[in-house]
Amino acid sequence: MDDDRELLIGAVAYSANVVPIWEGIREYFSDGPAPMDFVLFSNYERQVEALLAGHIDVAWNTNVAWVRTLRRTGGTATALASRDTDLVFTTVMVGRAGGGLQGLESLKGRRVALGSRDSGQARILPLHFLGRAGITPTDIDLLIFDSDVGKHGDTGRSDLDALRAVIDGDADGAAIGVNTWDALRAGGDAATADLEVIWESEPYSHCNFTALETLSEERYGPWLEHLMAMSWDDPDHRRILELEGLTRWVPPQLEGYASLEAAMDEQHISDRW
Amino acid sequence: MSLDLTLRLVEQVTPIAAGTSVSVPIDGPEDLALVQRWVDTTGNTILMVHPESVEVFRGRIRDPIEALSPDRRPGFRLWIYTNFHCNLACDYCCVESSPRARPRIIDLESFSRIVDEAVTAGVSELFLTGGEPFMLLDLHERLRVAATAMPTTVLTNAMLWSGERLRLLEELPRDGLTLQISLDSASPELHDRHRGTGSFARAFAGIRLAMDLGFRVRVAATLGADAASSESDLEALFDELGLDRSQRIVRRIARQGAANAGLTVSRASLVPEVCVTAEGVWWHPVAAIDPAMKVSSEFSPLGEVIDGIRQEYRTHRISSDVLASTFPCG
Repeated sequence: MDDDRELLIGAVAYSANVVPIWEGIREYFSDGPAPMDFVLFSNYERQVEALLAGHIDVAWNTNVAWVRTLRRTGGTATALASRDTDLVFTTVMVGRAGGGLQGLESLKGRRVALGSRDSGQARILPLHFLGRAGITPTDIDLLIFDSDVGKHGDTGRSDLDALRAVIDGDADGAAIGVNTWDALRAGGDAATADLEVIWESEPYSHCNFTALETLSEERYGPWLEHLMAMSWDDPDHRRILELEGLTRWVPPQLEGYASLEAAMDEQHISDRW
Repeated sequence: MSLDLTLRLVEQVTPIAAGTSVSVPIDGPEDLALVQRWVDTTGNTILMVHPESVEVFRGRIRDPIEALSPDRRPGFRLWIYTNFHCNLACDYCCVESSPRARPRIIDLESFSRIVDEAVTAGVSELFLTGGEPFMLLDLHERLRVAATAMPTTVLTNAMLWSGERLRLLEELPRDGLTLQISLDSASPELHDRHRGTGSFARAFAGIRLAMDLGFRVRVAATLGADAASSESDLEALFDELGLDRSQRIVRRIARQGAANAGLTVSRASLVPEVCVTAEGVWWHPVAAIDPAMKVSSEFSPLGEVIDGIRQEYRTHRISSDVLASTFPCG
């Protein structure tokens, strides 16, 4: 490959908003030392395959897509950067206020709503944490919403479906990503007064920019340095950062993927799809 | 119920593309307050509030005023119609000025208050127009008040400077004052056709006089459909006069006032240039008798009136940008 060509970044089109986000990021890089372009995929599995095939240089991956890439490359893939919010991602179990539920143990014998089967936050990790609390799927009545398979929970659709089940009285608890919970709480305390947090997980790592070991530091270094230079204090940068849900780009925390790796092992989740 | 509303916001607003908007039903001021909190926290914007819904814009809106060069931002410049009567009756006059026009003079006391309020409101430049401002025998007093406060330009046909008016002209300050003189063509035929027989020669003499007296002179031409290729002749004349390019203005006739043809203008299509007359505040001086372009019957408090104009301009621009992105052609 010609080392002078611009880096090609892959991302998944989980909503219409992805286009202006990546056009904004591309515009930011166009003025810098490492111009880039992007390619959008309909799902993370296609993106991982494209990365492995060398069709893209870097993939903006979910935690599930990262683990799959890592395993498909025998552990040689590299994580370049994450959002600050990716290092403190959690799953929140939400129930009706006044329901008397507290902690995962209190959910034994109850109806628990979970999201898509490929969502780390709404399905894979909740099952893992329930198991660690000594609760097996046979101890609870699971209500599953496979609403946005392929997007690894990015749309938040299955989180909201699970939450609706709680509101409608069809479930006692719903496991949702903290990003969805924060979006609900953004309306003020009154907005979520009818709900309460039953349990919140330990933090884990979420998305990262993933590259193969064949991408030299010479190629990704200037791009990474320019990425890290995006500033919340610059209104043009802030517009993009806000849409992508971060305040700054940070080095990834690989140890934060341990719980998901364990969960994918336990649940025999394939490295492919 | 607030939880339902919050869920609707997350479901409806989050997936849409930045730069587009969606209508979210609301029921009363409490709902509106919740939506306001939600958009502030999540980095989105309320575009418009309707009785039973709110239009939410995805992302933060870039202020369209910031996109304008500083000297084009509403409130940078303030226009004041000192009067409406005129020694000429140009057939394209946007405010129908003539010797028979009702004068509608802004007296010196009101004028001074307007200037004071303009200073407080952060206005950087004054433009005095009419009618013919030099019809007022006490114009020099207004010009001193204005030019002392900030850079001031007075628009004139330069045809009245004789006798007492010439003496008063000679005494006007040179610092901070520009005389903007109308000259529509490089030769009498076209100019006189619209402005009256003999007006070209007198205006041209007025330009020479003002320059000789050491005034900063700007020349402005208003061109109609019959102007054809006269613009290049006009530029040659400006060169001959030694006028700097920044002191030349060539504009098209607007279909306002006495003009029965020309560019159509509206609040949605004109970047506002705040304009005060004896009858109130207007969106732009080119339309200072058009009821649709009237912003307020009172000029005071001028700062608030200017803020209102800025806000309306923002709304026009943002709405049209959103509409444009709603109906893409390809």
